[in-house]
Amino acid sequence: MTDLVRVVQKENLPRKFTLMNGLPDVGLVGVVAGSQIVSTLRMKEVGTVESELFPPLVVLHDGVPKSPIRVFAKESLAVIIAETAIPAGAVYPLAEAIVNWASVRGADLVLSIGGMAVQNRQDIESPKVFAALSDKKLSNLLNGAAEVLGEGYIVGAYALMLKRCAEIGLPAIALLTQSFYNYPDPEAAAAAVNSVNKILGLNVDTSELLRKAEEIRLRSKDIMKRTQTEMARINKSQEYDVPPLYG
Amino acid sequence: MNFAEYLRRTEQIAGKMLTSGWNEASSTIEPLSDIILGAREVVVTMDLPYVDPNAVKVDVIADDTIEVQANTKHKICLKDLGVKHRGTEFTLYHTVIHMPVPVDEKGMTHKLKRGILEIHLPRQT
Repeated sequence: MTDLVRVVQKENLPRKFTLMNGLPDVGLVGVVAGSQIVSTLRMKEVGTVESELFPPLVVLHDGVPKSPIRVFAKESLAVIIAETAIPAGAVYPLAEAIVNWASVRGADLVLSIGGMAVQNRQDIESPKVFAALSDKKLSNLLNGAAEVLGEGYIVGAYALMLKRCAEIGLPAIALLTQSFYNYPDPEAAAAAVNSVNKILGLNVDTSELLRKAEEIRLRSKDIMKRTQTEMARINKSQEYDVPPLYG
Repeated sequence: MNFAEYLRRTEQIAGKMLTSGWNEASSTIEPLSDIILGAREVVVTMDLPYVDPNAVKVDVIADDTIEVQANTKHKICLKDLGVKHRGTEFTLYHTVIHMPVPVDEKGMTHKLKRGILEIHLPRQT
């Protein structure tokens, strides 16, 4: 199954590194937050994620064709960011390929950034950040940056990554910030970056996300629309559901 | 709803999903939108970055269809977003949205908060 999606690494990474994922889902929180971290830290492109399951496209940046899903790195941090919606049929092999690659290459933490849709988002001044952990012991890493999720559903690539990481003993955290479901949410992305700062000891400025919020929302309109379609296909709205079992 | 109307609406919905939402022919932007069907009302939301809060117009054009037009605060040019080969300028959001049930125009309210337009439409009794 992993051959369906391949992480193509072009440059070496440190023996130990943290892998952060910024894949498009609810509110595009991961993509917006990941982009801010990559640009602020001036991270270098070190690889791509390739698959025939992805749309046949390239993204032009400064006239150069780029893969829409790329790996950036600086020192002991690597970030995977997608500039296209992940087709529902690629979610399983993508999650498995990323976790396998991270495990083989020596990642010591997989930190996935995403959104958690709340219906009253317009009334929330400061979005809260929650964390789903592959192992309860990882709560020590949070440094008060997020509240641990106890019960609920997570749907999509991050859910599969969390499960796979738990199975192989690779520490993983999914940071999920309260956000709009269908609309790009730069404020939620800023809250997510602040949490990442606390967890990883970074100092990424989030004021630009707030200052340019309208531009980010407009720029992200099209990928949000395509992501909506894919989220519907994987029943992303099941995250609103209450699990029947407890304890 | 007759079959022809059903087909027309289905085509409209498919068209919205497949197109980019930047309508260069009419210089309008199709905003992202969402519909929530409640027990007593239908709530429509849409994301309107750069909207002029004083230039939002919502019309009920049929008992199950609304039309929204909203001017932007300034011209939006794709060149400014780095897309140099498309020079169209946009100053207007425009969309026509079909309700899942008939709504009552009289009780309609709308507000803009955090750049999100929220329209409340009571269901017809």
